[in-house]
Amino acid sequence: MVRGLLCVALLLATVTARAESWPDKDWAKATPLAGPAVEALDTYAFPPRDDTTRQGIRTDALLVIRDGEIIYERYAAPTTASTPHLTWSISKSLMATVLGVAYGDNRFKLNDPVARFYPPMKQHPTVTMADLLHWASGLDWQEDYEYAPLKSSVVAMLYTRGHADMAEFSANTEAAGAPGQAFRYSSGDSNILSAALKGMLGHKAYMSYPWDALFKPLGIRNATWETDADETFVASSYAYLTARDLARVGLLMARDGRWGDEQLLPKAWVDFNRQPFEKYQAGQDEAVPGGHWWLNQGSPRPWPDAPADTFAALGHWGQALYVLPSEHLVIVRYGDDRDGSYRHNELLKRVLAAVQP
Amino acid sequence: MIRRRPFTSLFLLLLLALLGWVWHERVNLQAFPDIIAAYTAKEYCSCRYVANNPAEYCRGYVKQYVPTSAFTDNPERSEVTASGLGRTHSARWLGERQGCRLTP
Repeated sequence: MVRGLLCVALLLATVTARAESWPDKDWAKATPLAGPAVEALDTYAFPPRDDTTRQGIRTDALLVIRDGEIIYERYAAPTTASTPHLTWSISKSLMATVLGVAYGDNRFKLNDPVARFYPPMKQHPTVTMADLLHWASGLDWQEDYEYAPLKSSVVAMLYTRGHADMAEFSANTEAAGAPGQAFRYSSGDSNILSAALKGMLGHKAYMSYPWDALFKPLGIRNATWETDADETFVASSYAYLTARDLARVGLLMARDGRWGDEQLLPKAWVDFNRQPFEKYQAGQDEAVPGGHWWLNQGSPRPWPDAPADTFAALGHWGQALYVLPSEHLVIVRYGDDRDGSYRHNELLKRVLAAVQP
Repeated sequence: MIRRRPFTSLFLLLLLALLGWVWHERVNLQAFPDIIAAYTAKEYCSCRYVANNPAEYCRGYVKQYVPTSAFTDNPERSEVTASGLGRTHSARWLGERQGCRLTP
């Protein structure tokens, strides 16, 4: 009887698994999108490029996955399907996903003080893991760079006073307010998370952890994640993946942390990623922060033409990984936008128009 | 003094304010000239050796308003050196996983 039930359960599981497409060594390709709406998408994303002025929308890669299969893919030279493109701040959400695996292994709890894993944070003993994931450490961080390079904490961290040990540089920032009380986007918070992960795992296991915990299970073979001189991954800025590989992370998130038969991230972790930070005030940033991911929530929604369950990992110069679970879509957009003319909402709107039957 | 030499007084006041600001921002100001050389060396190195883009593309990719005065890319060592605003910095490719890093 029990064996019979097990057989039925196994059969059901197989049938469900068959109904879902997952990338193996490479992605399966469905019938490519075609028609005037696709031309409108191309016109928006790929206008003629001027590599001298670098003005306007400069898409390097655009990849659309529906139900686990490629339905649109285009690159602009020199980027190709095999280019590990700089993701900039998408790296922050990638670190959150790596942390999700550690969370599933009970390495930490959301309300754990960060100082437990990273001693330099004893200067700020009440800052918790959740505070950092909400970009709400309360530290006096200056994220602006292009317009205020002198005062920018990010520029100092990446290129001058902080580059040898970015987490320590960030932890040494003075407090501006109590932790957990206000959103203040900070690359420093992300790098402190990276150092906290190192504290949980030990140096040796940490150095291969993003590959062991996330990249290899997802079949990602060409990932680079640069470290500072203290061998801490630069979680704020320096992960490099091909568009196809980044889309694997998107599919994992679209399916609530499940990869094939394996629940790689606890469902509760993905729920936390997608829960708006309650102290965020409308208009503080271009989208609503969740747990180190960006959400299309609130009113008005940041991207009104996209469904409310849309969420994204976003980076400097137009890098984006959009996940639209209700539409079964994952979109990777890499770019080299120098003037801010690119609009997430416009791209999403045109992709959604192009995928309509 | 102020009434007899209004312009000199104003100038001295402004100078004092400027010196005060320089003192206040001394840490940031000292590090500031390093940005362009460090940025150019690091981001060129990653563009060339991590993303495997052509050299010519990467030169354009890292170009900023502040000019660089010297630039060398040594492919044998995968090491990139850039100078600007009187400072020189290098970045080196360390491997497939770790990519490029500024050398101290």
